[in-house]
Amino acid sequence: MSRGRTPRRDEYDLFDSSASSPPPPPPPAAKRARAPEPQPEPEDDGGYPGESPASAVAVSTLTETARDVVEGAFIPLWVRGEVTDFKAHRNGHWYFCLRDSRSQIRCVVWSRDQRGIPAPPDDGMQVAAFGRLTVYPARGEMQFTVARLRARGDGLRRKALEITRKRLEADGLLAPERKRRLPRFPRVIAVVTSPDGAALHDIVAVLRRREAAVRLVVVPAAVQGDTAPLELCAAIDRVNRWGGADLAIIGRGGGSVEDLWAFNDERVARAVASCAVPTISAVGHEVDISICDLVADLRAPTPSAAAEAAVRSSVELRSELRKYSLRMTGAARSLVRMRGNELRHLGRDIADAASTHVAAHRTQLESVAGRLHALSPLATLSRGYAVARDASGTALTSVESFHDGDSFDLIVRDGVVPARVAGVPRKEAS
Amino acid sequence: MTFETRMARLEEIAGELEGQGLPLDRALALFEEGIETLRVAAQELAQAEARVQRLIERADGSFDVIDRE
Repeated sequence: MSRGRTPRRDEYDLFDSSASSPPPPPPPAAKRARAPEPQPEPEDDGGYPGESPASAVAVSTLTETARDVVEGAFIPLWVRGEVTDFKAHRNGHWYFCLRDSRSQIRCVVWSRDQRGIPAPPDDGMQVAAFGRLTVYPARGEMQFTVARLRARGDGLRRKALEITRKRLEADGLLAPERKRRLPRFPRVIAVVTSPDGAALHDIVAVLRRREAAVRLVVVPAAVQGDTAPLELCAAIDRVNRWGGADLAIIGRGGGSVEDLWAFNDERVARAVASCAVPTISAVGHEVDISICDLVADLRAPTPSAAAEAAVRSSVELRSELRKYSLRMTGAARSLVRMRGNELRHLGRDIADAASTHVAAHRTQLESVAGRLHALSPLATLSRGYAVARDASGTALTSVESFHDGDSFDLIVRDGVVPARVAGVPRKEAS
Repeated sequence: MTFETRMARLEEIAGELEGQGLPLDRALALFEEGIETLRVAAQELAQAEARVQRLIERADGSFDVIDRE
């Protein structure tokens, strides 16, 4: 800490007109004061330092003594009041005043202490600040160095949520059309959670009860504490790089607002949004809604509900399979029946057509037969003529076809007479 | 083929079988495929048992999935 320059003898302007309030009187017991800075020693008249103009102490002696006294007198404590004049300085530190109706105190939050505070306070917020009362010797001012800050109604957390929500919304990460459809029958579900937390236990219990045909792959991450946000991000990144899952559940069981806070971290929310597979968030109990819930493809009120949303029971699936079986056999049966009927109709039609056809032909045949009959050699036979035929059926019409002793058939009107040539045929002169 | 695509195929087959004017040989082929798909899907369900495993990342960035219990 800067001690300022060594004051000159004529520079004991204790009552600086620019100071807003009079400085506290010098400590009564200078025993507490440490050895003053090297300074011009006036003539020692034997009194305590500052007893006379001649023994006046340096400003730095005064403020540093004040610092020692003040800082030694107060243990860290909670102070309540209203925030005014809040300023986030370029140097990363926050400055504001805390006041009530009668007093105010300047406050600072060093940048390194801001990590534990969800959001910077707004002017007018009623807060409780935990810190140490200090003196800043360079300015001769008291200031309250704040390490933790709580706003009435959890206002800082609500503000932080609102800020994060707006940032995600501005990037389109909350858009309803971003929501992906969950796979209906996931085979491998990645569960990003604590490996020995209640959430995993609940999810496994649901899957067992449903006899679900899935593999559950736990991707361990701390779900609360300072390291939780980065561990959750790393776990989701691992799910992406591994590439073996077709659904991811991200969550934890119920807890205090602080316990669940990692799931409101913007980095975690962005990791969930960028997850390569559809996501179900399951954070805490029914009432707790986290930022992760807003970006996940499905928000489940509890880890058990997430498991129920992810998988369907095998009983349900079996009954669905049975339904398909019934539909298919029913359809096939009715199809066969329909085709059978068609076939029967067709057969009847063909038979009808054929018999009509046959009847027509029969009539025609009969008339032809009548005409044929008139021309038939049979008709000639009936008038008393006979025809001779050899064994092959050839008509024998010349004497040259007959030889003595040949057998032949004689066809008469009502039958066949076996006959034989008796003697040598004679040819008659024509 | 995943259980999901199998279920989707069954839906297609049942829908087409229930449709009008399907040639008989096509219907028979569909029916046969449907019965086979059903059989495999049911078999998959019968083997169903939730397994709990754990994802391990090795130092070289490769992954291992080990049984947890």
